[in-house]
Amino acid sequence: MTTPEISWLAIAPELVLALGAAVVLLVEVQWKPAIRVLGWVVAVTLFVALGLTVWQWVSASDSLASGDVSALRAFSDMILMDGFAIFGRAALLVVTILGVAAGWQFFRGLGRRGAEALALVLLAAAGFSIMVASNNLIMLFLGLEVGSISFYVLAGFSRESSKSDEAAIKYFLMGSFASAIFVYGVALAYAGTRQLTILGLGEYFDDFVVSSPAVILIGIGLMVVGLGFKVSAAPFHSWAPDVYQGAPSGVVGFMAAVAKIAGFAALARILITAFPSFDNSFLPVIAGIAIISMLLGSTLALVQGDIRRMLAYSGVAHAGFIMTGVVGGSTSGVLFYVVVYAVQLVGAFAVVAVVSGPSSSGSELSSYRGLSRRSPLLSGSLTVLLLGMAGLPVTAGFVAKFAVFSDAWANGYQWLVVIAVLTSVMALAFYVRIIVIMYMEDDDSEKIAVPNTVKWVLGAAVAATIIWGVLPASLLDLAADAFPL
Amino acid sequence: MLTALVLVPVVGALVVALVPNNRKEVHLPLGIALAAMPLAMAGYLFWVFAPEPGFQFAVDVPWYEPWGLSWSLGIDGISMPMVVLTAVLVPIALGASGSISVRTKEFIVYTLLLEAGMFGAFMARDLFLFFVFFEVILVPMYFIIGIWGGERRIYASMKFFIYTAFGSALLLAAIIGLAAMHTSEFGTTSFALADLTNVSMSGGTEKWFFAAFALAFAIKVPLFPLHTWLPDAHVEAPTAGSILLAGVLLKLGTYGLMRFNLSLFPQASVDAVEVLGILAVIGIIYGAVVAIVQPDLKKLVAYTSVSHLGFIVLGTFALTSGSLQGAVIQNVNHGLTTGALFLLVGLLYDRRHTKKISDFGGLQKVTPIFAGFFLFMIFASIGLPGLNGFVGEFLILIGSYATVPVLAIVAAFGVLLAAVYFLWAYERVFTGEPDREENRAIKDLSIKEIGLLAPLAILVLILGLYPNVLLDKIAPSTEATLDHVEAATGYVTPAPGRLSDVFVVGEAGE
Repeated sequence: MTTPEISWLAIAPELVLALGAAVVLLVEVQWKPAIRVLGWVVAVTLFVALGLTVWQWVSASDSLASGDVSALRAFSDMILMDGFAIFGRAALLVVTILGVAAGWQFFRGLGRRGAEALALVLLAAAGFSIMVASNNLIMLFLGLEVGSISFYVLAGFSRESSKSDEAAIKYFLMGSFASAIFVYGVALAYAGTRQLTILGLGEYFDDFVVSSPAVILIGIGLMVVGLGFKVSAAPFHSWAPDVYQGAPSGVVGFMAAVAKIAGFAALARILITAFPSFDNSFLPVIAGIAIISMLLGSTLALVQGDIRRMLAYSGVAHAGFIMTGVVGGSTSGVLFYVVVYAVQLVGAFAVVAVVSGPSSSGSELSSYRGLSRRSPLLSGSLTVLLLGMAGLPVTAGFVAKFAVFSDAWANGYQWLVVIAVLTSVMALAFYVRIIVIMYMEDDDSEKIAVPNTVKWVLGAAVAATIIWGVLPASLLDLAADAFPL
Repeated sequence: MLTALVLVPVVGALVVALVPNNRKEVHLPLGIALAAMPLAMAGYLFWVFAPEPGFQFAVDVPWYEPWGLSWSLGIDGISMPMVVLTAVLVPIALGASGSISVRTKEFIVYTLLLEAGMFGAFMARDLFLFFVFFEVILVPMYFIIGIWGGERRIYASMKFFIYTAFGSALLLAAIIGLAAMHTSEFGTTSFALADLTNVSMSGGTEKWFFAAFALAFAIKVPLFPLHTWLPDAHVEAPTAGSILLAGVLLKLGTYGLMRFNLSLFPQASVDAVEVLGILAVIGIIYGAVVAIVQPDLKKLVAYTSVSHLGFIVLGTFALTSGSLQGAVIQNVNHGLTTGALFLLVGLLYDRRHTKKISDFGGLQKVTPIFAGFFLFMIFASIGLPGLNGFVGEFLILIGSYATVPVLAIVAAFGVLLAAVYFLWAYERVFTGEPDREENRAIKDLSIKEIGLLAPLAILVLILGLYPNVLLDKIAPSTEATLDHVEAATGYVTPAPGRLSDVFVVGEAGE
């Protein structure tokens, strides 16, 4: 036996992120610099990681072009460096960059504790990034936990607010429960097949016909439940509104967006790569989850009086729409949707963080009254982002919905598509409600000053929403190349 | 050329948006000047448009090839009149917006974006592209009603938005489904209208698709019983919003029925003639009866739209040469006359701040020019021979008689009722003695306002006296549509429904 060659490149971005987190903490302990210095460290870390990800993409394309697929399987098949992983990782990093910039007021306001929060953000990014790239289910679980535990802490970071504590405890209890369910699912799948890797499972089902798949099916079901919790799909969504409302608004957009990207990437990879032969058993279940999520999310979002709770329930509805794409069995639609949604969500929460304050204060819809007068920039950006989430044409949200609906239709789930388009009209209603409040109701409060970092985030999010809406090829081609092995 | 037609208003909107806020006085003139450019282009298009079937000035640029999307525009005899109508009405609507004092700049931006969307929707030859424009139009219209509307503007704009979005949701599902069927039959994905007409499907499937398309367009028209959003939207909308809503947006529904339902689902269309015909006739009579008793002048005009658009739907599904031509030209006529009527009601409201019929009386003596224009437009709308409304309604009624004689006879009563509601309203508002103090102070039309109304009046007169200006360009395309339906279904237009039944064979088509 020879020592396996270590391909450091496959985990280079995560290494950089973890190192960055350590540097942030150590520098803080040793020199107690201004928070701005730590901000630069974080920025450099994230951009270096993103650069490495681009390098990975180039190298992976070369390997694929030369047919040398083995180069994409690193660390004895623990980690994959396929397009899917790299695309998901790049999305995570971009969203993290946007998230940190959007929540910069929050980090700055934390004072000396800002370093901890920033380190946690980097660790979360590292964890979820490993999760997206994992081939081994245990590895995937580890990534998931590293990310989730960072999130539990971040959710409770506004110590002065009891809401924040409540959010953190709730998130932690329900989240650990979901993780346990996920691991149990992994265990059952292993018990049924003696395979722990996703590719291994796929090959196993190519070679063998399973006569009594009950154990495996229960395993798949439990994994879906565990990941369904992370992406806040109904009926596993009950934590989302409280966490979205209680966690500091400076980070909650980033948390929600990152969890959605990683959760759906893992879900799509597991279902589409490992268990394609059980399509007929689990797709109806996924379709059911999709319907419940869409209906429940849209209905409850209609009656919320707090914009964060509304965004939480709309997130449930979006989980349903993305599930529609999973039912369609194509990863490109899911990836496109989840990236577009994540960017829009971070942008929307950037607005929330400015209007309602970056920590855990309330964010009633009434505080958005007349926003178009108080800050045309904020209201205009939020309008574009909300219309994008609602899926109106000329925004990326429309292309995304179109992509997942087309996939689902082509895969034989016409009825699901019909329900999905109808619920998207309901979804339109509550997004439009916010626009009404911003534009059609007047308020004479003073103007709002927008921090520069938020301006950048909003500029990027709005530009992405419109550019990907008008010229979808720029992202769709990448998403189409980012197929799992 | 057509691409430019879509882009010019968009660029115009950007230009207006970049003008500083404190230069309020230039916003409106600049907007009107920018809206005049598409008008000039549309005029040119009308001039050079050849009376032939098929799309002219076609543009085809791939947009996203893996999905078969393309930026594909073109105009034929059915869409060309609508493009010209849009180009005519937008500058007039902007000109009528002098009374808008708050957030003028935004208003002009939204109106220009609306114009771009309408152009795009009428010219799209790719269903995906059509849907994009069809849906995008909602947003600026929603803002126009919601920001500058009347008291219940938020309720009205929300109702308008949700209603139409609901219709287009099913349309989207149907478009996705059609494209998927094209993919499985031919192996390539395409959203082009020309490709999707080739998709073969079973009768049952075709009915479902037809229903999804028809529902979306019927809400837009609006066809009875889906019309309830219309009066609210009209009453609350600002004048310009009403003009464009009645003049152009509703026509998207009738246009869609003729363009997409007839050509994509010919068999289902033939089967649906009676159902849709009956709904259309109910709409004609119902709209007219409800209009008679309206106490609000603007609501009255809104309900007349329900009635008049019923004629267009009846004409579309009567499937004869005459009725189809009548439907197309009636689209234009209704846009001109109802646009003018809404403009007049809006001007009256600006002067007196009420729209209640009972608040007026004897205005003829105070404002003779105003009354003259109003009467002229009423006559055009009723269908007085020599004015444009007559041409359209006459063609529709004659054409429908060949296919659905009973419906045509009932529909003819709609013309009669039109005389009742309009003349009675005129009598209450304009005749008699101006007995109220406020009414005696109303100013007559200014030169500028006459300038807005005169072009409409002239077009009404031209189309009434010499409709062949337009009909000659429409006929080849409607004939082609009818040929397509006949070829695809074995449906035979009952004699003398085709032009060839009336003229010597060989003369009509050449």
